[in-house]
Amino acid sequence: MLGRGEISSEELVKSQYERIEEVEPKVDAYLTLDRDNAIARAIEIDKLRAGKEKLPALAGIPVGVKDNISTKGIRTTCASKMLENYVPVFNATVVEKLKENGAVITGKLNMDEFAMGSSTENSYFKKTKNPFNVSCVPGGSSGGSAAAVSACEAVVALGSDTGGSIRQPASLCGVVGLKPTYGSVSRYGLVAFASSLDQIGSFGRCVKDVALLQDVIQGYDKMDATSANRSYASLYENLNSNISGLKIGIPKEYFGEGIKAEVKEAVMRSVNELERQGAIVKEISLPSTGNALSAYYIIACAEASSNLARFDGVKYGYRCENPQSLMDMYERTRSEGFGREVKRRIILGTFVLSSGYFDAYYKKAKLMQQRISAEFDSAYNDVDVIITPTSPFEAFRFGDKIDDPIAMYSADICTVTVNIAGLPAVSIPCGYSDVGLPYGLQIIGRRFDEQTILNTALAHEQCFGEFKSCKL
Amino acid sequence: MDNISIDIKHIAKLARLKIDDSELPRYESEMRDIIGMVNSMPDIEDSLIVDPNNAMELREDKLADDKLSRDVMLSNAPKVVAGCVVVPKVVD
Repeated sequence: MLGRGEISSEELVKSQYERIEEVEPKVDAYLTLDRDNAIARAIEIDKLRAGKEKLPALAGIPVGVKDNISTKGIRTTCASKMLENYVPVFNATVVEKLKENGAVITGKLNMDEFAMGSSTENSYFKKTKNPFNVSCVPGGSSGGSAAAVSACEAVVALGSDTGGSIRQPASLCGVVGLKPTYGSVSRYGLVAFASSLDQIGSFGRCVKDVALLQDVIQGYDKMDATSANRSYASLYENLNSNISGLKIGIPKEYFGEGIKAEVKEAVMRSVNELERQGAIVKEISLPSTGNALSAYYIIACAEASSNLARFDGVKYGYRCENPQSLMDMYERTRSEGFGREVKRRIILGTFVLSSGYFDAYYKKAKLMQQRISAEFDSAYNDVDVIITPTSPFEAFRFGDKIDDPIAMYSADICTVTVNIAGLPAVSIPCGYSDVGLPYGLQIIGRRFDEQTILNTALAHEQCFGEFKSCKL
Repeated sequence: MDNISIDIKHIAKLARLKIDDSELPRYESEMRDIIGMVNSMPDIEDSLIVDPNNAMELREDKLADDKLSRDVMLSNAPKVVAGCVVVPKVVD
């Protein structure tokens, strides 16, 4: 409609804010809105359009951004008291790319504090609700991003994924979520949680939107030492739903104990349909899957304890009142500024790195990471993509798991292996429970082969239909 | 590593966190559960390999051409005097 001139960018952005005003009291997806700047930006885009200039890929499109991605001049809190009043003085590389491509940033989206959690209940500020049932969580940690896209409060959104934080909320909110290959999207300006696992990625209501957004944000960046210096073809332009001859692996370890029967049935219904479309399906084994969650929590918490050492009340962020000494300032600032889950993970990370325990935990976890990666590499000798459930269960009720860390951590059981191995994976909706809550399936690909997983996702989408909106 | 006991107060001190005595039993219980979970990992007889295809390119160790002024860089600091961040006294 924008391209055909049936609607202006200004009208689109204003209507986006009308939608936000209408549903935000029920959903609580946003922490900060940037309405005035967004409308001003939309007017600029309309002027470019009137001048018949060639417009960039996202010209005038409203995009929400997770609140751990640095936005110059817009408060970036990581959903933490620690950064409640932090206003970045620079943009993350992905934000620069959004702006260069004409996107209009609507605001900053809620999340679990410092991206630690699977329900967005760990936000210091508020609880985001699942648009399909506001008594249920949206998943996490990018729960605000998933809920905003699901509730049509943004066309697309950026999130980050350290152990499933894009794919799991995408699954619970019935939208598409892509976690790209480690190194394909710059993390410069992403507040670090676990640097060897963190990756920025995209949410959308359909596969094409996600491909378009990934096209914009991917690419080498000298500001990120882990950025992969290679060429990136357009995913959007090369989308192709013909999956005839595609080899799909079904790892038996992802369909065992702990995965709800209805989820398994929904995933296998989709796999059967893909087989009917010409794909070749075979069972495979990834034997170390059962150890992935343990390895993940050791590596992630160890890195978090180091990354979060910077929040000490000196250069930015919260500082306690009337510190009596430097040590008193450090301790009280961090104890008052961090929430309970963050402190729990810092303590675990400090413990596994402490003298006498390093080899028993961290080194062992890194060896397990190596083994898990090797098992994926071996599997890709025989198959092109691997399909699993995204989440072992559909959205759960607020409070159901928040006091039981192990139960909450199990929400990531199907997703952490992908981060451990640095692979790309996309979650797509694959059905609904008897009370209308979405199920999701995960398509995992070879490193830097986002194209094949998105093609597979598109084939699925064309068969089962695009996003189904919910009543709010 | 079975039945390991974790000195939460000591670990918290290393992490520059202050945990109230009233909160200790809960932290100890949760950490016992988490350590119990991660202890299930088997021993692996192998050595860590650096992937030659994913070697990080380290930046040159030289001053970056950064256009941010000192005032801008300090704009988020909790306490600033004369262009310097201020912390409690560290020497008597």
